[in-house]
Amino acid sequence: MTRPDTRIIDGETVTDREMTETEHEQFLLAQNEAKAQAKAAADKVTAKQAVLNRLGITADEAALLLG
Amino acid sequence: MANTQTTVPLFVANQVLTAAQQNASAGTGVPVFATTVTRDAAFGGSNKALAEGQLCYIEASDVVQYYNGAAWATVGPATSGALVRVGGGTLSTSTTTFSNVFSSAYNTYLIQGNDITVSASATMRLSISGSAGATYNSNTINMTYSSATVTGDTYSGSSNFVIGTPQTTNTGFEMVLVSPFLSKATQAFNRMSTNTNSWQSWAVDTNAASSVSCTILMPGAQTFSSGTINIYGYANS
Repeated sequence: MTRPDTRIIDGETVTDREMTETEHEQFLLAQNEAKAQAKAAADKVTAKQAVLNRLGITADEAALLLG
Repeated sequence: MANTQTTVPLFVANQVLTAAQQNASAGTGVPVFATTVTRDAAFGGSNKALAEGQLCYIEASDVVQYYNGAAWATVGPATSGALVRVGGGTLSTSTTTFSNVFSSAYNTYLIQGNDITVSASATMRLSISGSAGATYNSNTINMTYSSATVTGDTYSGSSNFVIGTPQTTNTGFEMVLVSPFLSKATQAFNRMSTNTNSWQSWAVDTNAASSVSCTILMPGAQTFSSGTINIYGYANS
């Protein structure tokens, strides 16, 4: 399997090469984390909107109430 | 021959140019040397005697120097100062590592990014070389310019610092990293602005391992389209 490229900058020397296995594992770990975090954030927005819909107010109006 | 001049001569047509005048001209120019070793070898003997006021340029260290009568001193660019650039460059599409930027010379660093654009909105992250585990904790808040609503997130036990979410248009950020090279936890203080929203984040990497490099990454299908990073060290005293 071809791994994605990475760039290494050391002083003035720029090297573009394929990720090593370790680098790729780290990249995939970060990728999976990002997906999970994005899903959690989206779920939170959906849940918040559901509450706002039930109350019949906008997010700005809710902020005014809570402020 | 000393470098001290008493006149700045103006030559006229058909005037005889003397050896002394030519030597003064050649001797007060700025000779370029490969290293300080070849610089020192170029003076004395049958060459010009080194004298106060002599200038030179050293290719190996990219500095201009002057001789004060006893030793060579550096004019510039400054090799030390309150804020000294230690690395940087152009971002690649997904990950870019800046090698050997953290050292014992500085405890605190400024990482500044400009003209960052991405293929699609996603969260940009930064990791340091001493850590490879889930030891980063970040708190972020962000606001859009179209609403007064503040939103926030916590990222506990991540494998990187969360910087923020760049847009497909111009994004800039600056992050202060405290003690990445020291064998201590590393703190990060970050702020970022895009055309549509702004981010701030505060974070810690609890891993106490020393780091010499950092990596900026865009994990996911989204990629960097452009972006320039500059990394500076803050003087310790």
